[in-house]
Amino acid sequence: MQKKEKTFFVNGPVSPAFIADSIQKHSSKTGIGAHSLFLGQVRADVVGEDVVTAIEYTTYEALAITTMHTIRETLFARHAITCLHIYHSLGLVPAGEICLFVFASSPHRKAAMEACNDAVEQVKQLLPVWGREITGNGHYQWKENQPV
Amino acid sequence: MYMNTRITTYGKITGIAGQNIPAPGIPDTDALRTWLQQQFPALAQQTYHIAVNHIVIYANTTLPAGAVVALLPPFSGG
Repeated sequence: MQKKEKTFFVNGPVSPAFIADSIQKHSSKTGIGAHSLFLGQVRADVVGEDVVTAIEYTTYEALAITTMHTIRETLFARHAITCLHIYHSLGLVPAGEICLFVFASSPHRKAAMEACNDAVEQVKQLLPVWGREITGNGHYQWKENQPV
Repeated sequence: MYMNTRITTYGKITGIAGQNIPAPGIPDTDALRTWLQQQFPALAQQTYHIAVNHIVIYANTTLPAGAVVALLPPFSGG
């Protein structure tokens, strides 16, 4: 199993080209029979008479690195996955752009799908990242994650 | 004597207390919470965890000399 630590923060949005390239890179891993992907997108929420135009993400990097290591160890222990990739944006991500990319792969579909879902929940609960929603009028509010 | 404590804040706590808080020598995290609330009364309405040397702590913890302390409001990634 591949458990190599990789850079998991991306400056700005995660580009569709990066996601496509990530999929392409797995074509040589022919033991894989299923991929499950989650893409988190910045929503243009309405705030009173204002609209969210972007989210600015910050982190506590030293804690994030150890937390991501723990998340990966947990997921590999729980699920029969071949590989797992998690990328989270830092900095400004405009509404409509991708801010979280989770990519789980396994020989059969169930493990990939469950690991992908588990990874998203772990990231939202445990990864020390904060989102500041910026509105069209230049105001901001701190994002609060919903339970599901 | 306890050494001065270096505190860094994150998320919405930064807007209340600033990014870096110079603090006197404080023996443990319970005393730190009390001191912070005296300095920044608005923190009383906030939920936050304390990390000591990059580890989130859940019970009163001694602050070792030169500890790196962080105040962490609820995470909101993704």
